[in-house]
Amino acid sequence: MEYFIEFKNRKIATDKLGYLLDVQDWKPEMAPLLAQSENIEMDENRWEVVNFVREFYLEYNTSPAIRALVKAMAQKFGPDKGNSRYLHRLFPKGPAKQATKIAGLPKPAKCL
Amino acid sequence: MSALTIINRSAPYGSADGLEALDLCLAAASFGQQVNFIFLDDGIFQLLSNQAPNEIEHKNYSKTFAALEFYDVEYIYVCEESLAARNLSTKDLCIEVTLLNKQEIVAMLNTNAVVTF
Amino acid sequence: MASFCILVTHSPFDTQRAYSAYRFADAAINGGHTLAGIFFYQSGVNNSNNFQTPHADELNMYQKWKTLNDLHLVPLNVCVTAANRRGIINKEDAIERDLVHYNLTAPFEEVGLGELIELINGSDRTIQF
Repeated sequence: MEYFIEFKNRKIATDKLGYLLDVQDWKPEMAPLLAQSENIEMDENRWEVVNFVREFYLEYNTSPAIRALVKAMAQKFGPDKGNSRYLHRLFPKGPAKQATKIAGLPKPAKCL
Repeated sequence: MSALTIINRSAPYGSADGLEALDLCLAAASFGQQVNFIFLDDGIFQLLSNQAPNEIEHKNYSKTFAALEFYDVEYIYVCEESLAARNLSTKDLCIEVTLLNKQEIVAMLNTNAVVTF
Repeated sequence: MASFCILVTHSPFDTQRAYSAYRFADAAINGGHTLAGIFFYQSGVNNSNNFQTPHADELNMYQKWKTLNDLHLVPLNVCVTAANRRGIINKEDAIERDLVHYNLTAPFEEVGLGELIELINGSDRTIQF
């Protein structure tokens, strides 16, 4: 089986769970579409996290686990945003899982 | 809960040791476990700056070492003698580390668990 | 009496390490010690591959581990990421990736590395083979 999302009449390859297979395929305009599949509507705060997670991945070649995301967010945006309750409110099924998907990153390793 | 000591002795890419040592380090730290992350012998090659493994279609996980601070991995040690024996210095490494001599490393082994890669 | 966590990081056939781990586990139990669990990581995950079919007159590590679990209920934990990388996968993950076959079944269990941390902290000593 091949899995994909349709974006501007192009097929963008994903895995079965909807994570993009190639990080480079991602465009910002794709985020609302990916968010929809998670029943999430993008707003300013969610964009901030999605962009942050993507930058983190591009710099460190790994998606941040929740602990690291909280600490890194706190360092950049302060404690109001760098806390796990805030992040879970934005991404109820887990910020590490959902924000990475919307940011076009690979599915995080199961054991991390 | 005492510390978990993870020892890297293999150069990167030639074996999966380095990548799976890093996976264990990240997982342990995510669970709030204190980790001593030690590099000695050829393991210090893991930490060289400017690695370009894309040439051999390998993920450049050396970039992840710089993210260890966000996982609260504060104890990253490199063996002084191993570095000198390979004509390297801390300036050649991609992150800040603490240098230890062999005797100090032996003292580190007195932790709850030691896993070697 | 002590409790042990045993970490197996090498494959069952190519070296003697997995067998040494088994012998240690067996001796520890017979000596009255307890095993918090056995954890398979790196190439050690190959121990859990139920497609192993050695000749009848050769050592069968898969059966050894299975018997250890049958007799003493020792948990046999396998790192899911290390296993999946090496073509060892349980039914649930095989379905998730549209694979027809799977080769990781009970008593072996796919777990995360967090389980290893718990085993390490729940035992007196960790021994790596």
